[in-house]
Amino acid sequence: MTGSPIREEAPDVPTQVFEKFLEALTGANIPAEVVARLKKALVEDKTFTDRALKAAVLSDEPLL
Amino acid sequence: MIRLESITIKEFRGIRDMTLDFKGKNFAICGPNGTGKSGIVDALEFALTGTVSRLSGEGSGEVSLKAHGPHVDSRAAPDKARVAVKLTIPSLGKTITVERSVKAPGSPRVTPSDAGVLDVLRQVESHPEIVLSRRELIRYVLATPGKRAEEVQALLHLDQVDRVRAGLQKIANACERPLSGLGTSAADARANLLRALGIAELTKDKVLAATNAQRATLGLLALTELTDTTSLRDGLATARAAEPQRISKIQALADIRAAREVLAEIVSITITARVVDAEADVRALATDPEVATGVAQESFYVTGMGLIANHACPFCDSAWDLDDLRRHVQIKIDHLKEVSRRRQAAEAKAEPLVALLRKIQSALDFLVRYGDLARPPLTIQTVRDHSVSCAITATTLAAFLPLADTIAALATVSTVPPAVLDAVAELEKVVSELPEPTKQDSAREWLSVAQERLEVYRSAMRQHKTAKEQAQRARQVSDIYSITSDKVLVGIYADVQRDFASLYGFVNRDDEDKFKAQLVPSMGKLGFDVDFYGRGFFPPGAYHSEGHQDSMGICLYLALMRHLQGGGFSFAVLDDVLMSVDAGHRREVCTLLKTEFSNTQFIMTTHDPIWLRHMKTEALIGNRAAIQFKGWSIDQGPAQWDERDVWAEIGDYLKQNDVRASAGLLRHYLEYVAAELCHRLRAQPEYRGDAQYQLGELLPAAIRQMRRLYSLAKDSANSWNQKEVIVDLSVRESSFAALADGSKAEEWQVNVAVHFNSWENLGSSDFAPVAEAFRNLLGGFCCAHCEEFLRVTPDRETCESLRCDCGKTNINLVRKK
Repeated sequence: MTGSPIREEAPDVPTQVFEKFLEALTGANIPAEVVARLKKALVEDKTFTDRALKAAVLSDEPLL
Repeated sequence: MIRLESITIKEFRGIRDMTLDFKGKNFAICGPNGTGKSGIVDALEFALTGTVSRLSGEGSGEVSLKAHGPHVDSRAAPDKARVAVKLTIPSLGKTITVERSVKAPGSPRVTPSDAGVLDVLRQVESHPEIVLSRRELIRYVLATPGKRAEEVQALLHLDQVDRVRAGLQKIANACERPLSGLGTSAADARANLLRALGIAELTKDKVLAATNAQRATLGLLALTELTDTTSLRDGLATARAAEPQRISKIQALADIRAAREVLAEIVSITITARVVDAEADVRALATDPEVATGVAQESFYVTGMGLIANHACPFCDSAWDLDDLRRHVQIKIDHLKEVSRRRQAAEAKAEPLVALLRKIQSALDFLVRYGDLARPPLTIQTVRDHSVSCAITATTLAAFLPLADTIAALATVSTVPPAVLDAVAELEKVVSELPEPTKQDSAREWLSVAQERLEVYRSAMRQHKTAKEQAQRARQVSDIYSITSDKVLVGIYADVQRDFASLYGFVNRDDEDKFKAQLVPSMGKLGFDVDFYGRGFFPPGAYHSEGHQDSMGICLYLALMRHLQGGGFSFAVLDDVLMSVDAGHRREVCTLLKTEFSNTQFIMTTHDPIWLRHMKTEALIGNRAAIQFKGWSIDQGPAQWDERDVWAEIGDYLKQNDVRASAGLLRHYLEYVAAELCHRLRAQPEYRGDAQYQLGELLPAAIRQMRRLYSLAKDSANSWNQKEVIVDLSVRESSFAALADGSKAEEWQVNVAVHFNSWENLGSSDFAPVAEAFRNLLGGFCCAHCEEFLRVTPDRETCESLRCDCGKTNINLVRKK
């Protein structure tokens, strides 16, 4: 049997997804401040509301 | 994460007062249905998470932890219903106690308590999946793809992932929605500007050339640059406030021509055909009554689908069939999706009409303004009314619903009242009759109108550009999230799929060692197909037996947990999860748990004593790491087989002259013990295919086997020339023979006086010696030191020794070669 190797530290799945997402944003043409705001919302504050995401993606720009 | 040392349960569910000592190791709880096993599982879950899923989860109905968590006799005193667990936290090197009462389940007493300990307990609380019943396990296997995705997503805590995905998509959609209107406005502003400039192409050179020609007429300096802030009127004196604004004849005639063109376009064959086409689509949609409420209904049905759990309507309590209802709702959802597709197609056909109507509105507004500037003012009310009408029609078409309004609006799109054309002609006549302006006046008016329209164009372009940038960024962020999250999840599913197939292949390696599985995520669903003996991939319930499905359930759970918790998967409660798996495969499950999950402490329940024996013989649990319940009473809770208690209880009944109860208990206990002895000693009662052995078959077989083992042991000792051992064995043998003879158990079939069916007819004084004889007989099967029943090792192939757990009895059975 070739079971999966057991990882000592297993970050939860959402954290894995968010970290990969932020990495990908950094590699794309997304302003650094947007990436920083998303990191704060998703990883540090763990707030996933539409309002928090909108503020992170668009900052205080009015949504036309 | 944690290991469980012990649990103390008081007045909780069906348990009055019980302490179990797990010692941080695997442990099994065995007993017939209704003896309290699940009460212990509930207590474990409660102590660790503060909830009991059976009392609060799907299908719990009117049952609640607060009302039904305490023992029924303590239901008015939830504070008495308490569970305390002693845990070790290996990562912190600490042993702690967590105690909860049903009165305050969310406020456990943790001793000792510090930030590190509380953090670990929070992690445990966030993993209620450590307690799993067969019902919960099997739903991973047999669920529909959509439901399975939900179950697995709940286990993997993917709700946050999906919430972010939905949020980012919503933002991207909201950013894109106004783009079309803003684009149309910018295009209109551009067309108006070009008309004012009298050029066909909006390039810097052409704008400057046209502007400088007019500026030269006024003796103004030529503009050399055209930036975002350049004014075409730069240097031109501002008109005096008292001076009435005049109609720019040339510009007005150009705008009137433009208005005639768009009014002609809206009644053209091309547009009329487009209107007819759009109207046909909308009329077809209107025949479906669900279109109007489609979006709201679709959302309602999708939400409702996830909430269908009970077997009756929560509003009117009418019973329903869950599967039928789900099928019924799914048909509605599918239909609404098709309606939604058709609606989008019809909306796309209406969109250019909306743009053209707005263009007409804008063109007519210029004319209204010229009418106001005319001296005397020319009231062209029909033009004004038609502009308003075009605006209303455009808004109605853009809104699309209600469909009746859209159909009515479409009917008016290609209609231009003749009075409008008459009014346009009248305005044109008035403008044409205006005196020709001087070259300077014409240039001044040209620059004013051009600048005004340039500013409108700049503003429209700025708005469009900003909106476009926001929309692009929001869409890019959303797309990147979708791609990366899908990639991560596909990777996780691939790992889980591989691990699951490997675990299941191990358990079933006798016939499915090349087993494969496919976990296929798609559009929020999770397909799960399994290989069936190389004949292709099918849903698990298609061809595999119930036992195989049970195996799949536990293997998928273990694979998911290993991925979810990694090295932190240190504890799990498996509540009767392998009831359909046959004996051979259970043995493999034991090996699997022991070898692949050696760092995980499993607390397992089963109603099947044979499964319990497998756990022991495969060394998944230690010989003393189990309890076996014999029954349950409302006053006492679960009663476990404990030899000391049994004999005391039998004695108590006899003191009360209750031979019936005393005999019943002895018989029940002997049935349990005789099966255990046959198993431990590898005795051979007459084989029964249905495994329904009688006491009269088991106990004599155990006695015969014990005699045979002593004989084998003496033979062996003789071969080794161990004279002292032979003497000792002879003493043991004759002592055991005396005990067996005393019980007359081997005369069962022929001696009615000692047959258990006749016990209850005896008097107390007659039955007391019978009970005593059996107590002594059972003692003959035990180690004199630890008082545990002896057992033969190994549990198959050649018998090598007869021994006990403490090691002080260890009798060699192998002859010298």
